[in-house]
Amino acid sequence: MADFATPRSGDVQIRKKDIDTRSPREKAADKFYWVIRIFTIVNVIMLFFPVFNPAKITDQINKNLSLFTCGVSYSSLVSNLKRSFQRGWVPESAFKLLNVSCLIIVLAVVVLIVGGCMSLGNRKLKKAGSLTACIGAVIELCSLFGIYRSYVMLQDSERIEKVDPYFPTMFWVYIVIAAAVLILSIAVIFTLPPAEKGTPYEMQPKFRLFLMMLPILVLAFVFCYLPLFGWRYAFFDYKSGETLSMDKFVGFKWFTSLFQNAATKKDIVRVIKNTLAMSGLGILTSWVPMVFAIFLAEIRNTHFRRVVQTFTTIPNFISWVLVYAIALAIFSTDGFVNTFLTAIGHTTTTNYLLSSSHMWLKMLAWGTWKGLGWSAIIYIASITGIDQQLYEAATVDGAGRFQKMWYITVPELIPTYMVLLLMSIANILSNGMDQYLVFSNAVNKDYIEVLDLYVYNLGIGSGLIPMSTVIGMIKSVISVILLFSANGISKLIRGESIV
Amino acid sequence: MTLKEKHEAKKEDKRFKDTTSHIKLTPGDIVFNILNYLFFSLFTLSCIFPFYYIFINTISSNDLVRKGAITFIPHELTISNYIAMSNVNDLWNSFFITILRTVLGTVLMVFASALAGYLMTKQEMWHRKFWYRFLVITMYFNAGLIPTYLNLSMLGLTNTFLVYIIPAIVSPYNIILVKTYVESIPGEIEESAFIDGAGYWTIFYKIIWPLSKPILATIAIFGAVGHWNSFQDSLIYNSNSPELYTLQHRLYVYLNQSSNLSAMMNGATSSSDSTALASALNTKVIQYTISMITIIPIMLVYPFMQRYFEKGIMLGAVKG
Repeated sequence: MADFATPRSGDVQIRKKDIDTRSPREKAADKFYWVIRIFTIVNVIMLFFPVFNPAKITDQINKNLSLFTCGVSYSSLVSNLKRSFQRGWVPESAFKLLNVSCLIIVLAVVVLIVGGCMSLGNRKLKKAGSLTACIGAVIELCSLFGIYRSYVMLQDSERIEKVDPYFPTMFWVYIVIAAAVLILSIAVIFTLPPAEKGTPYEMQPKFRLFLMMLPILVLAFVFCYLPLFGWRYAFFDYKSGETLSMDKFVGFKWFTSLFQNAATKKDIVRVIKNTLAMSGLGILTSWVPMVFAIFLAEIRNTHFRRVVQTFTTIPNFISWVLVYAIALAIFSTDGFVNTFLTAIGHTTTTNYLLSSSHMWLKMLAWGTWKGLGWSAIIYIASITGIDQQLYEAATVDGAGRFQKMWYITVPELIPTYMVLLLMSIANILSNGMDQYLVFSNAVNKDYIEVLDLYVYNLGIGSGLIPMSTVIGMIKSVISVILLFSANGISKLIRGESIV
Repeated sequence: MTLKEKHEAKKEDKRFKDTTSHIKLTPGDIVFNILNYLFFSLFTLSCIFPFYYIFINTISSNDLVRKGAITFIPHELTISNYIAMSNVNDLWNSFFITILRTVLGTVLMVFASALAGYLMTKQEMWHRKFWYRFLVITMYFNAGLIPTYLNLSMLGLTNTFLVYIIPAIVSPYNIILVKTYVESIPGEIEESAFIDGAGYWTIFYKIIWPLSKPILATIAIFGAVGHWNSFQDSLIYNSNSPELYTLQHRLYVYLNQSSNLSAMMNGATSSSDSTALASALNTKVIQYTISMITIIPIMLVYPFMQRYFEKGIMLGAVKG
């Protein structure tokens, strides 16, 4: 693979030319291009944030709409305006114009993106790219004028006090960006020396590869890094549906209330206790799959072994909701256990799911039932990899079945076990919420609520967004620290990293 | 199964036999074997029986189910429950949504993982190492449930179908798996294509994609099972749009309704409320039938996919 990485001879030439013969004019054009690219990226980001919506020309437009949503969905743009249309207070055409303008702005930004990507190519491609950016900026300016027109149309409407139009500040920001891109791309067109005749449109492989990768990187940024920006809610007094403003800034109030408010403190202690208990039980029984595999290997009948392996892995592939459905079918008042007991003469029925006793153990049992066969596979595979001569030699030396298990099989499996153990210690705070959510009810709530479920109940259920953000933040930070400590320990002991 | 794999499997079985076959069975061995077989039989039974129990209850006559007469053997076979279920529009809707998200989500995820995995093997990419770390690091942190929710709602993705698909397209773990696999493909194949004038896209389509099919099949199956079983995203992001509920979420709703009913019945001492009883038992059959509808697709594909599942966990072990 490494040999293959050397670019084609033509590419080498292009690269050399770049370094050696870039004239001052070309260097200046490249600098302009950096500014254009930054403006384009800012413009793209602004499309998706409601705060930067230049189309919000009246309070009647939902304040949680971004420019992008205004463009693609007419129905959400006018969702609050149906009455105004029916009474004829405002002309509907104004909002149609607004909608179309927004859509064209989105398209213009797409053109800008294309122009920005083309600017990574050779001189000829750069020229074409700046022309594209130029066109995109002109389209954007035209459609911004469309927004202005619809604002004017609203101003002219008969019952102006009903819609109360105002001019959004973000409009000027958009004008500035579009104008800047326009001026800079014209500047590039004039500063960039013309390409030699007959050169094809080309781009260096490194940039071609990067552009192929770009959509995936953007998705990763939007869905993995952008949420971190939401940690700011931990420092505000925020309620769902409001917009953030600096006068609601409360600093570390929520962090300190975590330790000062008696009720919260009690909740947290209870939840942490549940979390650590469930994870702890999981860790204490983490050797069970290994034993399962070792004993399964003792079974000589291949078909039986296959059947066991096949059927015990099935529960791993059904969701926790289905596990709960099974739990209901077996253990509820009219479930299997009760009908069976009734059939053999018992008179009382109990709903086993409605009791709060031994909740931790029950959860452990369900977890084991679901995961045991699956977790054992990795050990089964390791056992097949063990050198058979070891066993033969041990047999010759007179070792019994259990001696062979203990002195040969177990030591061979321990490295795998250690890795999995360290991973589960690193994940001690995150036991997921599906299992505990589906099994929780009013009776067992106090014993089943783990950290993840608590965050969900607090944030989504009770709408206490800052508080649950704080808890989520602390949890994330501790988890990362735990993970890297576990990795450090692994490096120290085994000389191998696990992450 | 390829010939090589078959051979491997045979060897594996032989190894197992060799360890014990030439030892004479002592009474201790016999006891051990009996206990061992007994344990594994019981555990395996506990894994299958619930499914069987639910299934026989859905195909037996409703009256018998109501009386609790069906425990081990189905009686008075009928498919009326399934026919009745086919009239429930909510269920069809959820079924359709779930199938659509499973197909679309898996296809996009596999394509993105394959492309990213391939591109990440290219040393000449602009700042490849940085971008690789940029992707991989996302496996180790999580902004948390609420910031993620607020982010998606700010992007206008909540209460839409797209929230099931778009955030799940990029999966760093799968990208690593594909990258490791592509690195094991001999570089000469690609090189000769390059000399013949193929570009990156052509190489990706004509060489990398077909050659990495085993790994792509594995991640596709895991992705599909994940999509099929996914319930949190429907619950958290689309709770206000019942028309977008996934099958699992729909099942959860039905289960909760009936458990509330039975909780009510537990509290009420009088058994005279026969209508409540009847409706509770009806929800029991509904519950069972929906559970079956949700399980059956997994059960149908499972036998064919099992070796991919096993391959999957081994791949995970290679790159922890």
